[in-house]
Amino acid sequence: MALQDRAAGLRRATRATMLEKPCCDPVEDAGDVAVRGEVPRVALVGNPNVGKSTLFNALTGARQHVGNWPGKTVHVARGTWRPEPTAYTDGLTLIDLPGTYSLVPRSPDEELTRDLLVDHGLDGRPEVVVVTVDAANLARNLYFLSQVLDTGVPVVVALTMVDVARARGLKVSAESLADALGTPVVAVLPHQGQGLDDLAEAVCAMLADPRPPRPADLGSALEEETAALTSLVAVGLGERYAPRWLALALLCGEPVPTVPEGLREQAREAGRRLLPADPESAAPESAAPDSTATDSPDRPADLGELPEDDPETLVAEARYAWAHRVLAAAVDRRAADRPTLTDRVDRVLTSRWLGIPVFLAVMWGVFTATTTLAVPLQDGLQALLDGPVNRAATAVLEAVHAPGWLSGLVLNGLVGGVGQLLTFVPLMAIMFVLLALLEDSGYMARAAFVVDRVMRLIGLPGRAFLPLIVGFGCNVPALAGTRILAHRGHRLLVGMLIPYVTCSARLTVYVLLASVFFGSRAGTAVFAMYVLSILLVIGIGRLLRRVLFRDLADEPLVLELPPYRRPTARVVGMQSWQKLNAFLRTAGGVIVATVAAVWLLSAIPLGGGQGGFGKVPLEHSVFGGTARTIAPAFEPAGFGDWHSSASLITGFVAKEAVVSTMAQTYEVQQPGDNHHAGSLGTALRSTFERTSHGHTVPAVLAFMVFLLAYTPCMATLAAQRAEIGTRLTMLGTGIQLAVAWLLAVTVYQIGALLW
Amino acid sequence: MRLRDCAPGDRLTLRRLRVRAGERLRLLELGFVPGALLHVIARGATGGLLVGLGDARVALDGATAGALLVEPDVAR
Repeated sequence: MALQDRAAGLRRATRATMLEKPCCDPVEDAGDVAVRGEVPRVALVGNPNVGKSTLFNALTGARQHVGNWPGKTVHVARGTWRPEPTAYTDGLTLIDLPGTYSLVPRSPDEELTRDLLVDHGLDGRPEVVVVTVDAANLARNLYFLSQVLDTGVPVVVALTMVDVARARGLKVSAESLADALGTPVVAVLPHQGQGLDDLAEAVCAMLADPRPPRPADLGSALEEETAALTSLVAVGLGERYAPRWLALALLCGEPVPTVPEGLREQAREAGRRLLPADPESAAPESAAPDSTATDSPDRPADLGELPEDDPETLVAEARYAWAHRVLAAAVDRRAADRPTLTDRVDRVLTSRWLGIPVFLAVMWGVFTATTTLAVPLQDGLQALLDGPVNRAATAVLEAVHAPGWLSGLVLNGLVGGVGQLLTFVPLMAIMFVLLALLEDSGYMARAAFVVDRVMRLIGLPGRAFLPLIVGFGCNVPALAGTRILAHRGHRLLVGMLIPYVTCSARLTVYVLLASVFFGSRAGTAVFAMYVLSILLVIGIGRLLRRVLFRDLADEPLVLELPPYRRPTARVVGMQSWQKLNAFLRTAGGVIVATVAAVWLLSAIPLGGGQGGFGKVPLEHSVFGGTARTIAPAFEPAGFGDWHSSASLITGFVAKEAVVSTMAQTYEVQQPGDNHHAGSLGTALRSTFERTSHGHTVPAVLAFMVFLLAYTPCMATLAAQRAEIGTRLTMLGTGIQLAVAWLLAVTVYQIGALLW
Repeated sequence: MRLRDCAPGDRLTLRRLRVRAGERLRLLELGFVPGALLHVIARGATGGLLVGLGDARVALDGATAGALLVEPDVAR
């Protein structure tokens, strides 16, 4: 009871803040002339991926705004719909509510959709709802519609995907559907703009003469109990909730705040009356499956105690039975019962023998594209910056007689930083386009299905494979790739694991060190780094799951597979551009600022007499001083020397810069080919021999391990911040540094005993 | 018989769902209700099952497919 009161209190509080701030409605903020309350509200609801948002965009055009619903952290798009000709000269406020499969919410988004339909105490409730119904998947969409009909809010059905259904041999008639439902039905093709005027007419007619919809007929037994419960709840709670919805919710045992216990008990009793009275008749049937279920290794043993039937199942059954009756009346499916092209393709692409090879081939393609395909583009951008941009900047700086420090800052700091950022742009663009292609074509869902079992070993869904694989090329697009994961917890976990995937920039350093120190066994040493990287992902993943993501449930795979389709250039282009734009905005500043900061530190002399600003040798700059200060921390790992720590500091900014920093610290030429290190190799050998007191091999291995496990680069941090937030990024960085240091020390200390 | 033990091409009627409450509702909402007609489209590479449920196609992992009890659909 106390809990319920608290919930009610919270609700009241939320409502109060909403009333205080009527300005929250952004549509009116935007200078709409309408007085609040006079513009009718129309909500769009429906299953995910049925063209709901496309319809919203087609109806509102540019007159829309995405923002949090007042008092909630749920993103809702609202816009002004100006249908013509109409009595509503100020247009209608159209609310695009989050897509959902049912009115039993599983997330705050779905909760908002339900509350706006059933809770009469909420502000901003729609006068009419437009339910988008997918003609190509009618049964499931009608199931959801049947729940919306229970809320009593006037309904207009927008029938989408009629063309897709027709291509599959399903002829869906809007007229027969309207007759069967007793609700206006308008077929729409939002992409082509078809049916929008008819939809406007139906909605305006409904607004002018609002009629509660005819609820779905759930069969005599269920209807009788529902009617009795409806009249019971209508007495005290009818003001607050839609009565029929509440009756059915209570019958199914859903938690609804402020409902007295007495009513709940009556609902439970009604539920018991509906279940088959004779338990013995069900017993022999359930005996055999019981024995098989308990000896099944991948199911908990308590399943034998689950009820065979419950009111929830009965209601779902009744809703689907109704949906099939409606279907039979409205759909001609004579041509539809042959296997579709999608089915035939799936038989190959998900099969036992070809599923994994096809998946690996696709992943290889993504990997290749994000690595090799990006290189010429990156080189082109780099050449543009080094050549024309640099020359132009130099010319401008000379023309204004800029002092030496300013030229240095602009040319090395700013242009260098922007250059660093721009090298990621082709990578990210390719990654986003591939993501959109895989999603839009329908293959992504299949890939998740194919490798589901493999990824489950580390407690992640099948889709997590893609970002992790891409990480071997570059961590930055890999982080962007975490967006394919539907569950936020999974996104955060994978986002924290990606830095441990060894990227190709780290490979260049491994190759240099391994060829200097390990000679013919260089390949083995580099391979060991890849094995260690995979072990780290698995190990840290299991650890984080146990410590940080304990509530991350091991959900079974129940995944609806969309039909394969040709991705449209418009959708792919738009999605990719939006994501690239967001990346540049969130990550751009951080990357440029860090590169400029490192340049500044290396240009400022430490103490006097070492040369002026920008002319100081690295050893005597603030940067060199910092490297010397942190060097002792690496003594237990066998590489406590400022040359090593300096390269690790630049490695924090970008692993590509590690080798060049090493060369700079020794004031030698950076080797053109990392396999032949030349004078840098000689210098490195003498340093590591000195710092490790002769245990060179374990010290170098420790250095490589540290390089593998600590923060990959500034761009990764920036991308991480964009995907998983500042707090987790900082926590992740701390864990990386700790893990890297501990591993390096362990490798060196144990290694020193052996070599 | 369990859905997991069925072969591609089999046409079946769903009889019972032997799954936990939260999971059960999700399956019910997707249309896995007693009496629903299913057909097996393909068996996945790692033990899952791809089934047709009306006009929808749903991928299930092996464990879930093992918890759905079915009967051969003789009418079709």
